[in-house]
Amino acid sequence: MTDKRKVGVFLCHCGGNISDVVDVKAVREFAEKQEDVVFATDTRFMCSNEGVCRLQEEIRNRSLDGVVVACCTPKMYEDLFRGKAEEAGMNPYLLEIANVREQCAYPHRHEPAKATAKAKDLVLGQVEKVRKLRPLETRTATIHPGVAVIGGGIAGIHASLLLADLGHKVTLIEKSPTIGGNMARLVKTFPTDDCAMCTLSPKMNEAYNHENIELLTYSEVKAAKRSPGKFALTVLEKPRFVTDACVACNKCTERCPVSTAKAPTQVDSEWEMGLSKRKAIYLPFPSALPQLWTIDADHCFYFQRGGKCRICAMVCPAKAIDFTMKPKEREVEVGAVLVATGFQEYDPGPLKHLAYGHHRNVVTQMQVARMLDSMGPTHGAIVRRTDGKPAASIVMVQCVGSRGARGDPLTHEYCSRVCCMVAVKHASLIRKAQPDTEVYILYNDLRAYGKGFEEYYTHSMELGVKFVRGLPGSVRKEGERLLVDVNDMLTGRRLEIPADLVVLSAAMEPSPVNELLAALHLDKTPDGFVKEYHAKINPTETAVKGVFVAGCAQGPKDITDTISQAGAAAMSAAVFLGKGEMTLNPLVAEVDPALCRACDRCAEVCEFEGVRVDPERLVAVVDETACEGCGKCTVVCPTGAITVRQFRKDQILASLDAMAPMAVSP
Amino acid sequence: MTFDPAIAAFCCNWCGYSAADQAGSAKLEYPSGVRIVRLMCTGMMDPYYVLRAFERGYDGVLVVGCHLGSCHYKSGNEQARDQMGRVAPMLRALGLGEARVHLTAASAAEGPIFAAETNAFVERVRRLGPNPLREAAR
Repeated sequence: MTDKRKVGVFLCHCGGNISDVVDVKAVREFAEKQEDVVFATDTRFMCSNEGVCRLQEEIRNRSLDGVVVACCTPKMYEDLFRGKAEEAGMNPYLLEIANVREQCAYPHRHEPAKATAKAKDLVLGQVEKVRKLRPLETRTATIHPGVAVIGGGIAGIHASLLLADLGHKVTLIEKSPTIGGNMARLVKTFPTDDCAMCTLSPKMNEAYNHENIELLTYSEVKAAKRSPGKFALTVLEKPRFVTDACVACNKCTERCPVSTAKAPTQVDSEWEMGLSKRKAIYLPFPSALPQLWTIDADHCFYFQRGGKCRICAMVCPAKAIDFTMKPKEREVEVGAVLVATGFQEYDPGPLKHLAYGHHRNVVTQMQVARMLDSMGPTHGAIVRRTDGKPAASIVMVQCVGSRGARGDPLTHEYCSRVCCMVAVKHASLIRKAQPDTEVYILYNDLRAYGKGFEEYYTHSMELGVKFVRGLPGSVRKEGERLLVDVNDMLTGRRLEIPADLVVLSAAMEPSPVNELLAALHLDKTPDGFVKEYHAKINPTETAVKGVFVAGCAQGPKDITDTISQAGAAAMSAAVFLGKGEMTLNPLVAEVDPALCRACDRCAEVCEFEGVRVDPERLVAVVDETACEGCGKCTVVCPTGAITVRQFRKDQILASLDAMAPMAVSP
Repeated sequence: MTFDPAIAAFCCNWCGYSAADQAGSAKLEYPSGVRIVRLMCTGMMDPYYVLRAFERGYDGVLVVGCHLGSCHYKSGNEQARDQMGRVAPMLRALGLGEARVHLTAASAAEGPIFAAETNAFVERVRRLGPNPLREAAR
């Protein structure tokens, strides 16, 4: 830029933090002499009202078109100063911070002369950068007021209700035929032994009936397109082959020939974790919502045998069966997306020593939850699966699939956090219902960290649950029973515990939603769960603006924590949506079409689909809403056509050169 | 008189730069010859900046990004690693040697690592002596 610039330099004493080390007056006198610097001053606190007013006054009076503030790190007050500069009529992107506190006064406080020399360099570096800066325009985009919640478990339901109560139009998308999620399978919840369905069902009903919630069940998000302030989701609604005319009479299910005693096709009930069979036309569980039956075309004789069986259609009094139903695609436009896709129970099959899938009397905690349900497959009795006889001895095994060795492909390294309390809960419930049943919990470490957990654990010991520290080496069959071999670490004795039922506390693992995460450009942490923006201070947002995460999609957690996080995620989403508009980051890439040769290397290295070559114009085009401004493309571009605003090569080199030991050669 | 190396330290906004801030706040010390240039990501670290730094008389170039796997932009630090790999043979050819360049990582919370890495690097450059190009220019 050949035009003369008017740069002002403002030096902060930081109440002595800087000025006790750096000779601020010497730096000011140095700054005054630099080219284009029309003014320099120093102030006790630049961030004070007085300092900020001075900044604005000088910008106005001297029509500054560049400012360097030498103070603390830009992470502290860059936004403040830029905002104030803008108020005073200067483009905010013409202001830079020279970080003379964290980078100079603090680390070199025992060398004041050298610190002063360095401070001069830091100020000059930023003056030279500012001389190269150009005003940037900030654009804003209106945020669509709607929100999509993906996953109809307790996290998704809770978040949807909060957002809907705030007046947002919520589209709740659930891939299975009913909302409720895993919580609906649990008979009781720890540490209060509340009936799970009694607490969940009212919330399901409220979500189902809420005027601001549109429920899309049996539906999956197939694609997502992001544009400024908006996500366009392509949702695939799978055909139920049952219309809304369904009157929930259950006659179809009663007469469906699939899974009857002599039928060649037997279908395990997903809802009952395989402990019972279900028909090809079914309602997952009695209080499922919506109360709409679904035909499973993969097992239905109509679809599998060329239309020969039409029994359900014949018995339906409402003529609700429609075999011609097709999958429907629809576009859902929203401003925010909340991912609450939950977890699935780990399959312990690969852990051969535990014999899951080998002996039918080895089950998981989720299966025991179904047994404990008085409406469940065993009507509340804990029985051997082989012969239905009551189990007199039960051995529970902790950390199955959790807390494995690093790098073990069969297990997860993380702790699933809930299994200790799940085992304590089930063991206590069994002891209460069947006091003659022996229940052992084989554990490694017992974690009772939550409110009321320790008391709950202590109570289970009073109920006679036996705790053995040690995990089993093998589970093998002996006659009608199983024999669990374990080394009791506390006594050093090797025990062989006879068991009618071995219950594995299987890990929580993320639901298989890779396609969805890819569509939304979401990352996963190494454990496979959705990566949050910041694990500590921002666990409900993600790196994608407008996408939030809650519940077990983000990591294993119990219902209390899930509810808390869903509430927090809903709040984050509401704040985001409530602003109504978003400022687009102007510090992104831009292309000089005259230099671009459409080689596509920028698009190859881009992680965000932020740039692509327009096949018609043969020039790279930046999608400013997708570009994050990392600048990878600027390095691989062979012609220098693509640059990142505020970090152009000439701007970076200006500071590098200004601070260099050797002057720029003429 | 002891030789005080001039170091150009390219730091990514999210990790390296914040680690330097953290080192400063914690009053950890390192030599004053270190000049930090802020980049949004080490992914925008052009090999040319390294050559330019030596041309302008810096004695060493330090690049501080996020740890591998923790890049704010997913893989910018991997590109930085690859690009720094490309610049090494050029430095050998110029007689500067590759020991004057160091790519490292320090998370925003790792002020002590920033200070330790910086101190170790400055010490290494001090032992290497001044940038030969700078000597030649005298």
